[in-house]
Amino acid sequence: MVGSFIWAALRGNWLLFTFAFVVDLIAAVNVALVYKYSNAAIDNAEKAFLVERYENWTDSHTIVAVLVFVIGRILFGWMADRFYVAQYNKWRVDHTVRSGVVLSRLLIAGLIFALIVPLLIYRTTQFAPDNRTCIKQTRAIAKGEVVTFKERFDCFIIGEFPTLFWISRPDEITYPRDDLGNRIVKRTPPRANAPPVNLNIYVSQRIDDSIGYVTVFYGFLFDGITGILRGMLSAIASVFVGTPWPITIGVLLFVAHKMAGRRTALFVGASLVYLALFGFWQSAMDTMSLVVAASLICVVFGLPLGIWVGKSKRGQAIITPVLDVMQTIPSFVYLLPAIAFFSIGKPPGILATVIFAMPPMVRLTALGIRQVPKNTKEAALAFGANPKQLLTKVELPLALPSIMAGINQVIMMSLSMVVVAALIGAGGMGYIVTEALENTETGRGLLAGIGIALLAMMIDRVVQRANVVRR
Amino acid sequence: MSDSAKIHTIETHNVWKIFGSRSEEALQAIERDQLSKAEVLEQYQAVVGVRDVSISVGEGEIFCIMGLSGSGKSTLVRHINRLIEPTGGEIFINGINVGDLNAEELRILRADKIGMVFQNMALLPHRTVRDNIAFALELRNVDAFTRAEVADRVTSLVSLQGYGDRYPSELSGGMQQRVGLARAMAADPDILLMDEPFSALDPLIRRGLQDEFLELSKTMKKTTLFITHDLDEAIRMGTRIAIMKDGAIVQTGTPEEIVTQPADDYVSDFVAGISKLKLVYAHTVMEPIEKYKAGKGKLPPIKDCAVAHPDDDLDTLIGLAIDQNNPTIIMSDDNPVGVVTKDALLLGVQGGS
Repeated sequence: MVGSFIWAALRGNWLLFTFAFVVDLIAAVNVALVYKYSNAAIDNAEKAFLVERYENWTDSHTIVAVLVFVIGRILFGWMADRFYVAQYNKWRVDHTVRSGVVLSRLLIAGLIFALIVPLLIYRTTQFAPDNRTCIKQTRAIAKGEVVTFKERFDCFIIGEFPTLFWISRPDEITYPRDDLGNRIVKRTPPRANAPPVNLNIYVSQRIDDSIGYVTVFYGFLFDGITGILRGMLSAIASVFVGTPWPITIGVLLFVAHKMAGRRTALFVGASLVYLALFGFWQSAMDTMSLVVAASLICVVFGLPLGIWVGKSKRGQAIITPVLDVMQTIPSFVYLLPAIAFFSIGKPPGILATVIFAMPPMVRLTALGIRQVPKNTKEAALAFGANPKQLLTKVELPLALPSIMAGINQVIMMSLSMVVVAALIGAGGMGYIVTEALENTETGRGLLAGIGIALLAMMIDRVVQRANVVRR
Repeated sequence: MSDSAKIHTIETHNVWKIFGSRSEEALQAIERDQLSKAEVLEQYQAVVGVRDVSISVGEGEIFCIMGLSGSGKSTLVRHINRLIEPTGGEIFINGINVGDLNAEELRILRADKIGMVFQNMALLPHRTVRDNIAFALELRNVDAFTRAEVADRVTSLVSLQGYGDRYPSELSGGMQQRVGLARAMAADPDILLMDEPFSALDPLIRRGLQDEFLELSKTMKKTTLFITHDLDEAIRMGTRIAIMKDGAIVQTGTPEEIVTQPADDYVSDFVAGISKLKLVYAHTVMEPIEKYKAGKGKLPPIKDCAVAHPDDDLDTLIGLAIDQNNPTIIMSDDNPVGVVTKDALLLGVQGGS
């Protein structure tokens, strides 16, 4: 009755053991919770609303415990039966399969049980201390006050993982100007009795220091990049924003029609009318120019990078983890360094967008290059192609569909990031959305959101249809 | 003219290819200890692709390399234009050591001297038939006008007129391989390397293309290295045949030599199912006239006998022997040189001679 998992362990089926063990644990944990909440209800007997709440929880945990236990046992019985048949069949083929009970397995099962169950049950019967309590407790210990063993144990084992404040606070670093007007590094040691810090605080402080150092002493570099980006953007923006709307609409319709056919042109027309009628025209064109600038940069840098990754093992080994990081770090996170280095406005917005949108370009280009059949490349070599000819006449043309898919991805991702980049002042449609978010103007935000979606679909349809039509 | 005196178009001297990171060591060990293929794999994690191959192909010859898959024939042919670097040995083309060429010289050799046809065609799907054919010329920076001219000429050579502006995917397998052939010939190379060119095609189309290729090579006189896994094809196409097994050449010879004097059991197993009718000639099965007279006595009068030439094949001789009781007399320059009896004919068909 007690240990179906012990039976499974004896028989050497660890999958069944895990199942039975976990089921019994869930049941046991629920029982422990019942105990915990009924105790809590007695402790807080004077507060009626708490007692009611705890009693509700007690009831539901009792039901869950019974249900899990009963259903788990039925399932276990069924699985054990199947396992027995399978084991018997195996034994008929191979007589070395061990049957019956083996004592060493009982030991392992007992060890697992002893390691997991007491701690888990203890944890569920207690209210875990919060972080602040534990920090206070650490300080108290440092001052030499008496803390009971139970309180220490609760903080170290069942609370948050103890981060231990053991590193002395780092120097504060500032970069004032000296008498000649040059920047210097000034270190201020911490107060004499400043409390120690933990790893997180220490490292983030150091990162801030380095960013500060780089921005102060190599600021001209970032200013240069900002200048280039701003110039590029203003050129593109003057096309989209500076052109009177009738001309822009006409040109966009013509391009859509030429590249992707009449139906797409109709869709583009309808979307443009929506944007114009709801007063999003300027913002939409602003966003468009941001997207175009970001996508251009992505393609210009992503294509050669993708070729390198596709052709060289080392390139792949270096770039792939970088791309993984670029894609998985939440987009808000690199808005921060973008502000740190480039302050706020459109240029850092574009840079953040480029970081976000570049990976698919590199990946898909590399994929396309790698997918070129080996024998086609061999044939080109057999006819005397040099590496450059191989690339331009065989590999790139054959990788083109994949590269075009990459460009499409880049545009879509740029658009989504440009909206987020409005948080650091990139402007455009995203600005309307963030403004609406701040003032909880649901209707306005929704209309702008639809506008962004239409913008995205418009670009996507035209680029994709253009692909299909060409092939 | 003695064989050693003339420069062969293609020559390989003791070419070895061993795949694996420890190929050099493995080669030394093989030469020292005479390891077998399995031992090399076990001790050096290396695979022997080509084992001590020396062949020489004369100008205008169609030299067939026949072997089952995995015998190293495709690997061997890729050594000729150094798509694969040999682990040991040397390769000469028109007396020039291919291993000594630098990258640029090698590209020139590949573009000018050697055309290659692949089993899977390996055409460029984004280019029209014309641009595919002119690919080798384009790589050599020949101007567009000349390219189009040459492409059109070669297109008609492989009877693909009117298909110049189509894309490879619009053509059937047989037509695609014609494009492959045309592409190999467009740069007018001296040497054609054909790596199982017709293997992926169905039998009827294969036969048609074989015939067409034979016709073409009669007029073009290109030295051809023809890889195949099909002995019938090797016999139809080849002036000489080399049979490969496990990376090594088992036997080299004319089709007739291979069929009538197989070097070992492996070759005779292959040859067993081959029809000898078109392969065995009168001079092989005939009995010299003196020997016939010594055994059977007098020769019947020539006017009562069928008469044939020493180079007539069994098929012809059988045609002559039907409805004829007397043996067939073989005449060379109006002189009787031998006699073919029906017994000799039957033995010839069976393969013994």
